[in-house]
Amino acid sequence: MTAENHAAEAEILKLARVLDVEPARLGYLARVDADDLQAFREQVTDTLFDANAAALQRMALAARVVPVGVLAKIAEKVFGPLLCARIAGLVDVSRGVDVAKRLSPRFLADVAAELDPRRASAIISRIPLDTVLAVAGELAAKEDWITLGRFVGHLPDPTVRRALEGIDDPALLRIAFVLDDKRRIDHVVGLLPAHRLGRLVTAAAADEDLWTPALDLLTHLSEARRATLVPMLGGLPGGFRERVQATIR
Amino acid sequence: MAERTLADQLGGYLPEGIEALEQHEQQDLANALRDARRRQAKALAEAGEEGLRYVPALLRGAVRKAVGL
Repeated sequence: MTAENHAAEAEILKLARVLDVEPARLGYLARVDADDLQAFREQVTDTLFDANAAALQRMALAARVVPVGVLAKIAEKVFGPLLCARIAGLVDVSRGVDVAKRLSPRFLADVAAELDPRRASAIISRIPLDTVLAVAGELAAKEDWITLGRFVGHLPDPTVRRALEGIDDPALLRIAFVLDDKRRIDHVVGLLPAHRLGRLVTAAAADEDLWTPALDLLTHLSEARRATLVPMLGGLPGGFRERVQATIR
Repeated sequence: MAERTLADQLGGYLPEGIEALEQHEQQDLANALRDARRRQAKALAEAGEEGLRYVPALLRGAVRKAVGL
């Protein structure tokens, strides 16, 4: 499979999430260029976020006069994750952060899954570290790699570093596979301890399902970082070794 | 009323690779998007009134005014 196919596969997973349909239903999109799929997904996201813009704006205005504690209760008991995600980008940043601090990590994880990080970046980057780590833990427990991957580009580096410490190697490979901005992969790998890249490749060697995410990750690494893997090639199982070798040469 | 096409729902423009899909495939995407919009509109409509029940009585007038209820 080529890097292009990997990217299309990841895009289909993300589009299925936005539309709330099973990925298998969108199988026919596998032959579409990944850049076109990403552009289409962003169009769909914008359309859904703008669809009820006037009503959402009015709700965001109303949120200004309601005490934060009451807002948090309404958010969790009435609005639910979908509407909270739609409104998050419209409320005052400090108020949004205050409400988020009062919500449970489990609920915030559900909101995160529905959120468009591009629209709520200011709030996301101000959420306290402990809360981010708790939400990342919830998302990892649910194996929600897409949501974890979507937030990597919107959190400060020290927060990303701490969050990734708590994520195991197979999970990290799956997150990297669906990362929104693959150009960030090399930077993110650079935030990990030096030995972790080798560990990721070793983890992939033990599970054929991880070959595709691992090879995709390697295609996005800098030459210098790829070169650090050469000494471990001999220890990889046949089949995987040749593909890693072809990818990092 | 005729169903809106995918391009109609997205403001008239489709990326090349999506434009090149078979008609029935574009229709499937149009249906999925329409259903997602309907689910969202329904959730929003239900949340407006229901949310007011949690707002302290003294503030309800101001909130009703803000949301246009």
